[in-house]
Amino acid sequence: MSKKDAYTQAGRTAVLQNIQGTLQFLQRFPPFNQMEQGHLAYLVEQCQLRFYAAGESIIKPADGPVEHFYIVKQGRVIGERQHVTRPGTETTFEIAGGECFPLAALLGERATRTEHLAGEDTFCLQLNKAAFIRVFSMSDVFRDFALRGVSSLLDQVNQQVRQRAVETLGTQYSLNTPLGELALRHPVVCSPATPLREAVAVMHEQQVGSIVIVDELRAPLGIFTLRDLRQVVADPGAELTAPVERYMTARPFHLSPQASAFDAAMAMTERHIAHVCLVDNGRLCGVISERDLFSLQRVDLVHLARTIRHAPRLDNLVALRGEIGQLVERMLAHGASSTQITQIITLLNDHTVCRVIELAIAERGDPGVPFSWLCFGSEGRREQTLHTDQDNGILFEAQNSAEAETIRARLLPLAQYINHNLAQCGFTLCKGNVMAGNPELCLSRSEWARRFAGFVREASPENLLGSSIYFDLRVVWGDEQGCEQLRRGLLEQVADNRIFQRMLADNALRQRPPVGRLREFVLTRQGDDKAATLDLKVQGLTPFVDGARLLALAHGIGACNTLERLRELVAKGVIDALDGAAYEEAYHFIQQTRMQQHQRQTRDNLPYSNRVDPDSLNHLDRRILRESLRQAQRLQASLAQRYQL
Amino acid sequence: MNLLAWLRPHAPELGANLRQRMAALPAPAPLGVCSLREQRWVVLDLETSGLNLNRDQVLSIGAVAIEDGAINLGQPFERTLHRPEQKTNASVLIHGLGPSALAAGCDPAEALLDLMAFIGDSPVLAFHAPFDQRMLTRALKDSLGLRLQHDFIDVAELAPLLNPDTVLREAGLDDWIARFGLQVQARHHAVADAQVTAELALILFSQARRQQLDSPLQLAQRLKQWRRRKAQGHGL
Repeated sequence: MSKKDAYTQAGRTAVLQNIQGTLQFLQRFPPFNQMEQGHLAYLVEQCQLRFYAAGESIIKPADGPVEHFYIVKQGRVIGERQHVTRPGTETTFEIAGGECFPLAALLGERATRTEHLAGEDTFCLQLNKAAFIRVFSMSDVFRDFALRGVSSLLDQVNQQVRQRAVETLGTQYSLNTPLGELALRHPVVCSPATPLREAVAVMHEQQVGSIVIVDELRAPLGIFTLRDLRQVVADPGAELTAPVERYMTARPFHLSPQASAFDAAMAMTERHIAHVCLVDNGRLCGVISERDLFSLQRVDLVHLARTIRHAPRLDNLVALRGEIGQLVERMLAHGASSTQITQIITLLNDHTVCRVIELAIAERGDPGVPFSWLCFGSEGRREQTLHTDQDNGILFEAQNSAEAETIRARLLPLAQYINHNLAQCGFTLCKGNVMAGNPELCLSRSEWARRFAGFVREASPENLLGSSIYFDLRVVWGDEQGCEQLRRGLLEQVADNRIFQRMLADNALRQRPPVGRLREFVLTRQGDDKAATLDLKVQGLTPFVDGARLLALAHGIGACNTLERLRELVAKGVIDALDGAAYEEAYHFIQQTRMQQHQRQTRDNLPYSNRVDPDSLNHLDRRILRESLRQAQRLQASLAQRYQL
Repeated sequence: MNLLAWLRPHAPELGANLRQRMAALPAPAPLGVCSLREQRWVVLDLETSGLNLNRDQVLSIGAVAIEDGAINLGQPFERTLHRPEQKTNASVLIHGLGPSALAAGCDPAEALLDLMAFIGDSPVLAFHAPFDQRMLTRALKDSLGLRLQHDFIDVAELAPLLNPDTVLREAGLDDWIARFGLQVQARHHAVADAQVTAELALILFSQARRQQLDSPLQLAQRLKQWRRRKAQGHGL
């Protein structure tokens, strides 16, 4: 070692010793505790340490595009946002030691939307953007963390960032994704004359399940897969020195890179193959394997949907319910989002309901009058989880009340039979008798309209409760026109009735999100529970559902799904785009936490419960939950202000 | 030739390379009226064989730069000096630099020159700065024949000056670390001490700014007044 090297080495040791304390500090927090030591050391070495006195501004919107990444080393940082509608600011989040900011602005290459201030005397590690990008590209852990958008929640991430996160995580692509985007690695190829042993060696080296045999122009001649290898091994006469061409599957099935993931999945299930070549202008440009299509869960979905739709008997449908549960479990395990899962459950439930109705009609005979099968509540909003009550009704057309009575008499037995069969399929009978077999819920369009008008006119507690169920309605089976007319009438009445809106707002404020003024959760103990808990559904989701319903009804928005309602409210300018995105993300996270809990409960053979002990969550999840609940609080505060409650 | 030249110990013999590097060292800049943030500072901590200013030796040097109001974590300065003649004494219990570490150290002349290059023309901050200043003065004279002319500002004076309400008698570095809730990795390790002193300095600079003392010159002048008043107080 030359003298200079020795000094450099001594210098390195000094640096390492000096950053050791910071390293150890960071290693107590995600994502730093999961990062490789080398990556973390690089990060710390590139950092500057800065001090901010209490109240001092760290970054603010006027500073322009964010140039640094910050980690709170000691102290506390608070986010303050200017009110959109009135003067003054509100504290939107708090960032404590070991936490970082402002990820969304940094990734989005824009200014922060929130002023970050030191909440008390605070030291921050400051990393310049170039070094941030370097760490971002080196460390998978860090990248995932940054993209998962912990802070994005706090910082009201834009859609674009989340989109990128989805791509990077690679777990959530739609079946419409072009195959060209999924086949990321170069296909492994060889010439027809390559000895079999050599071809297999290449496959082994590259850790792939297939090799494509191509000619000089890279046109695929055949494919050799692990399955072919099994045959070779089983064949006593096989020679490993023979050219691979002798054992390959000639003329392999191929698709264009523009074909969709769905096409590939269908081809694989129909042809019983595990690899599809991608060919562009006669040249091989990629290979898609079954594994690339992500454990075939989406194929399961397509398959399951089709099986439900064609189930010959009720028994089959009952049996298929179990498979829906398994599918959901697998999707959750693979990190699918709560929105995707609720949509899929709703889709499969819709298929089941339709099939039950069709089978009932086939069995009991056509009643001879057209009718529509309605659903309400969470099913109406397309937000069902696995265990679900029936909330349904029937809508038909009648000239007058006498005709309505006749039709009702004809439809009721069928409706009751359908209710009964749905219960067998796992849709629990509704305790409140909100079911089509109830004569009060098997109504003509004018009867429904009268009923709804009553809800809006007289705001009794029962009517308010009713409106929170019935006003989230949609058609599952049958013609949708009548229901749309009904909805239009309803929206007109609500828009005109400020008193009713105010009552709904009052109702929407009843469940307060369980977060206190500062940092902690407000928990309650149920019966003889050991740990104090909070209710994810009632205290977490309901404020969003009720708030979105009220604002949607008041502004003539016909959508029922809470997230759709929020998006349309943003589009109409009723709520600020940043707030909308923040509510959406918060809602999404609470729902996800709830579903994961249900999954755990199923596994442990415990009854379903929406109550969670925040201490049972990990550091990160607990923090996001707290911020999510705070968003619910903000939504309520905006309602209180809007309706002067 | 100066008549008194024989009274001085003769200047150390230095290689051409060292002489050249010494000539290239910038002269210290006088404390100016730029803002505290604009001023580059070097926070220094020396570990010595003892507290005797005339006899004890500098064993290791730690320094941290404050630039643009922030500490660069990746660029601290640290040298352990080659001191073969240093006998193990009680001070080893404090700084933990045993004979083997000292034997493996680098040439003091080179190390000190590296330090002066690191300091550049910046003013120096240290906790109990007069001690470090005098130890360094002697080491520079002995090893390089170089006169230390940099301004030193004592963090141990700055802290009570800016925190008149904090009553800490004869407060040491540990007291101020505790007062501001700072975390220190390893006390009496030159770089770690320089690092925590630098963190303390960042807090003090922030306080100084709020007290309308936003330049190195103003800070030094206020310190002078404070010292004078304190001396008068003692006189009474």
